[in-house]
Amino acid sequence: MTRYMSLYWLFLLQRLKALMEYRASFILGATSTIIWQGSSIAAVWVVMQNVPSLNGWNYDEVLMVYGIITLAKSINHMFADNLWTVGRVYIRAGGFDRFLVRPIDPLFHLLADRFCQDGVGNFIVGLALVVKASVDLDITWTPLMVAMLAVGVISGGFIFIALNLITCVSSFWIIDSVPITRLVFDNHLFAQYPLSIYPKAISILLTWVIPYGFASFYPASYLLGREMGNLAWVSPLIAAFLMFIGYRFWQFGLKYYSGTGS
Amino acid sequence: MQTLQRRVSVYGALLAMIPKMFMAYQLWFWAGLVMNVISMSILYFFWNAVYAESGVISGLAREQTINYILLAFFFMPLASNDLVWEFGSNLREGLMVHHLLRPVNFQAMNYVQQFGAVLTRVTLQIPILLLGVFLFGLKIPTDLMTWLAFLVSALLGFTVMFFFTWFLACFTFYTTEIWGLGVLIEGMTFFLSGALVPLAMMPEWLRGIVLSVPFAQALAVPIGLLSGITPLGDAPRLWLIQIAWIIGMWIISTLFFRVAVRKITVQGG
Repeated sequence: MTRYMSLYWLFLLQRLKALMEYRASFILGATSTIIWQGSSIAAVWVVMQNVPSLNGWNYDEVLMVYGIITLAKSINHMFADNLWTVGRVYIRAGGFDRFLVRPIDPLFHLLADRFCQDGVGNFIVGLALVVKASVDLDITWTPLMVAMLAVGVISGGFIFIALNLITCVSSFWIIDSVPITRLVFDNHLFAQYPLSIYPKAISILLTWVIPYGFASFYPASYLLGREMGNLAWVSPLIAAFLMFIGYRFWQFGLKYYSGTGS
Repeated sequence: MQTLQRRVSVYGALLAMIPKMFMAYQLWFWAGLVMNVISMSILYFFWNAVYAESGVISGLAREQTINYILLAFFFMPLASNDLVWEFGSNLREGLMVHHLLRPVNFQAMNYVQQFGAVLTRVTLQIPILLLGVFLFGLKIPTDLMTWLAFLVSALLGFTVMFFFTWFLACFTFYTTEIWGLGVLIEGMTFFLSGALVPLAMMPEWLRGIVLSVPFAQALAVPIGLLSGITPLGDAPRLWLIQIAWIIGMWIISTLFFRVAVRKITVQGG
C-alpha cells in the first residue's frame, strides 16, 4: 500500500511536470469546465428568480445538491479519467501491453498514468457551490455533518469511478468503450437536481441501480436535515460494493484481453 | 497441421474485427439516442417541477415553455459551427495558404461547408424529434407560415453566427490557441443562445446583455417563432434585426480577417 502511494506520487509529479510545460493549456483545461458549469448554473439561477422553489427545494438547496455531485465527479475526473480512454488510446494503439509487463497492478498503472487537470475546474466549482449554499442557508456545521460531507463526496467519487470501471471493461472486447460508459455516466445528470422532482421509477433507478443519488441527493438531504437524509450513511457500503464488482469484472476482462495486433 | 491451425486463428481474428467495427457505429447510434432521452427527461421533469406551483411564469404557460425548450434542444446545431476548429486545423497543418491561393472565395467556401454541416446535423437529429413527440408530448407546429417564418429566421441566424464566429476565429492567428477558444465559445453559446431558458424569464438587465451579443439570433429568435412564443406578426421586424446583425458582423469579420491574415503563424506542416 505504501509502495503504491509513493509510486502514485511519483507518477503525479511527472505528470505535473509535463503539464507545466504547457501552462496556458493547463489553466484553460481547468477553466473550460468552469465555463460549462457556469452556463448551467446561470440557467438554474434565472429560473429560480421566477419561482420560490423546485418542488420544495429553494435555490441554495438545489445548489447544495449540484455542488456535492460536482465535487464527487471531480474526484473521478481528476484521478480516473483514463477509464474513458483505455480503449481508444491504450488498447487500440497497443500501449496497454506496456502495463501488463510492469511489476505493478495494471489498473493502478492505468489510473496513475494520467492525472486530468480538467477535473480541477469541477472541484473548484463544486466547492464554491457547497460553501455558497451553506453560508446562505446558515448551516451550522457539526463534526458529524463535516464527516458526512467528506463521506458523501469520497464515496460519491468512488461510485463514479466504479461505474466507469465496470463499463470500461467492455473495451477488452469491443475496443471503444466510450458509448457504453456514456450510457451509464450520463445518468448522473439526473442527480444534479433533487431526485424528488422525478417520477418514482427514476429516483429508484438513481438510488438502487445506477446509484448516483448517493453522490448528491442523499448527502445533501442529510446536511439540510431532510427526510431520507440518513440513507446517506449507506453510501460508503454502496461505493465499496461497486468497487469490488468493478475490480473483479476488470480482472475477468483482463483474462480475455488479447491485444489488437497493432 | 499446426500451420493450418495458425492460419485459422489469424484469419478468424481478422474476420472477428469486422462485426466489431460495424458495431462501434451502431453502438454510438443507440447510445446517442439514450443519452438524448436522458437529457430530454431532465429538461422535461425540471421544467415540470418549476411549474409545480405557478401556472404562468413571465407570461409563459407550462406547455409553451416545455415546447420551446425541447425545440431549442433539437435545433441546438443551428447555433454553433466548427469554424474555430477549422481555422485551427488549417493553421496546424499549414493548409491556410493553400486555401487562400485557390480560385474560390475562402469565406464563401467555408459558409457553404458549415451550412452543409448544420443541415446534416439537424437531419441526423430527427429520431430525437420523434422521441420528443412520443415521450414528452412535444408539439410540432403544422402551420406553413410558422415554418416559413422559422426557416427564414433560422437561415439568417445561422449567417449571423457564421460571421461572428469568423471574427472570433481570427484570434487564432494571434494566439494559436484553438482548443480553449473553441470551448469558451461553446460554453457561452450554451447559455447565451437561449437554449436553456426562454429569454422572457431573464431579468431585464440580463436580457439586455444577452440581446447585445449575437448568440440569441441563431436560436432563441427562430425557436421563439417556431414554438409560437413570438407572434408571427413580429417576424418581419425580427428578420430586419437579424439582417442588421449580419451586415455588422460581416463588416467587422472581413476587416479583422484582412488584418489578421498577415499575422498567420503556421505551426508546421
